[in-house]
Amino acid sequence: MNAIPPMNENPLANTAPLAVEPAGEWLQVAELAELKRANRKKVMVAGTSVILFLIGGRVFALREACVHKQRPLSKGTILRGKVVCPGHQWKFDPETGQAEDRDECQPVYAVRLDSGHVYLNPRERVPDTGSRV
Amino acid sequence: MNAVTRIAVVGAGQAAAVAARALRRRGFDGAIEIIGAEAHRPYQRPPLSKEFLADGLGGDGSGSDGSGSDSADSDLFLLPADWCEANDVRLRLGQEATRVDSAAGAVELADRTRVPADAVLIATGGRPRRLTTSATSDARVHYLRTLDDALRLRERLLPGAHVIVAGAGFIGAEVAATARGRGAEVTVIEPREAPLLPLLGARVGTACAELHRANGTRLRLGVAVESVEETAAGVVVTAGGERTEGDVLVVGIGIVPNDEVAARSGIAVADGVITDEYCRTSVPNIFAAGDVARHFHPLFGERIRAEHFDSASRQAAVAAGAILGEARAYDDPYWFWSDQYDASLQYAGHAAGSDEIVIRGSLEDLDFCAFYLRRGMLRGAFGIDRGAEVTAARELIGQRRAVPPGALADTETDLAELASTAPQEPDIPQEATARGNIA
Repeated sequence: MNAIPPMNENPLANTAPLAVEPAGEWLQVAELAELKRANRKKVMVAGTSVILFLIGGRVFALREACVHKQRPLSKGTILRGKVVCPGHQWKFDPETGQAEDRDECQPVYAVRLDSGHVYLNPRERVPDTGSRV
Repeated sequence: MNAVTRIAVVGAGQAAAVAARALRRRGFDGAIEIIGAEAHRPYQRPPLSKEFLADGLGGDGSGSDGSGSDSADSDLFLLPADWCEANDVRLRLGQEATRVDSAAGAVELADRTRVPADAVLIATGGRPRRLTTSATSDARVHYLRTLDDALRLRERLLPGAHVIVAGAGFIGAEVAATARGRGAEVTVIEPREAPLLPLLGARVGTACAELHRANGTRLRLGVAVESVEETAAGVVVTAGGERTEGDVLVVGIGIVPNDEVAARSGIAVADGVITDEYCRTSVPNIFAAGDVARHFHPLFGERIRAEHFDSASRQAAVAAGAILGEARAYDDPYWFWSDQYDASLQYAGHAAGSDEIVIRGSLEDLDFCAFYLRRGMLRGAFGIDRGAEVTAARELIGQRRAVPPGALADTETDLAELASTAPQEPDIPQEATARGNIA
């Protein structure tokens, strides 16, 4: 793994450890300050539209097009820490991408913060979902 | 009450499927039987007027194709065969229930089979209201409620065909939009002066009319269908004294609840099966959910028969809990969506009796959210391409947050934020809840 920026002391640093440390290049995609006005910012990562959300002081990255009907999560709402799609109100855990009460998962990306810069690992993470009753 | 060991669900739609899943998720390990009049496995209805009508999803649901093994099928079918097997849920498809014999603890079927059950969920849904001016045998007159209805109608939605739609409600509007998407010409005939007038009011209804016109759908508003004649080439619909010729007529003028099973079982019905907030009917151990249920809604303080996917699902989950002895009411604000053309229409709450409408955004640009207030309190919201605002409104309504109209209109105000900061209206009075308790 290369080009991982050093983690400086940062009040907004993402604290939760990743379950699996993603391999690959970390890309600088935004400045934290840019997220503060609307709590979100859309960025392009390798041809895919990705939406960054600032939720509870942490930055999360999800694929912008909803896994359900491809509506843009960038136009969604943050409610009780969940990302709510504007199309059909599917609710996603911004960290895992897991849809509430559903099997589906929204692809998410690992994010690191350093000195006000937002870094993203361009490899999509889609957690395993077991079968559900 | 003795412990429930055998549960029968009459009806095999959205509510039945959600109830079965909820019962198993809650650890119920007794028998579950779902009795459905249609031959298909339980399926979702929302796509039938939208994407399924447009291009289908594959699989007919009657055999292994309905297993839900690929994502397209799982969009439509709710209880795949492997799930039913793994969870020991029995589907009795193509069988009609006639009544519940609550004294003997059984559901009686038309073929005289008796399905033993010590708790019954009635989830029989509804059927399309028929146009009285048209014979039911007309081959070119379509109604849309079932999967088979959608398959038949799709054959008619051809490029260049002229599709006449009676009724500019949600089903009519979605059929019109889908038909346009398939290259058909569309004329919608609606007796009121604007689509969705009783629900949304004239200004917002007129915006919905503009959405149709902007997408090439012709509207004939303020005229009622007087007669329907089939000809060799198609169908002639006379409305307001004027004849409209088309290839097919689609009628979307609402549904009639299938409450006959309940009525024959001695359960209180009044345009639907009357239930309290826990989805309990007037007869112990019999519950109702979905389109057929006239449920006492604690948030709005009245009995309402809603016809939405979301309320059917939530009522079913509440009914499943009530069957197992939980006392959790269904008190969420209603919510539904309607995808028409490229627009996302959504509605939250219950705007009936509203005395003030606040518009955020632009009606003219078809990019707005309309908020419906009653005595200053937000009761309902309707948006076109404003899913975020409707999401927030749903939250504000559910929490009875008092929001100044100015904040609702101001696009700079983050409504989702107000959902946790605005002051809350005190709880509704006890008598309102007691009124709904019929058990």
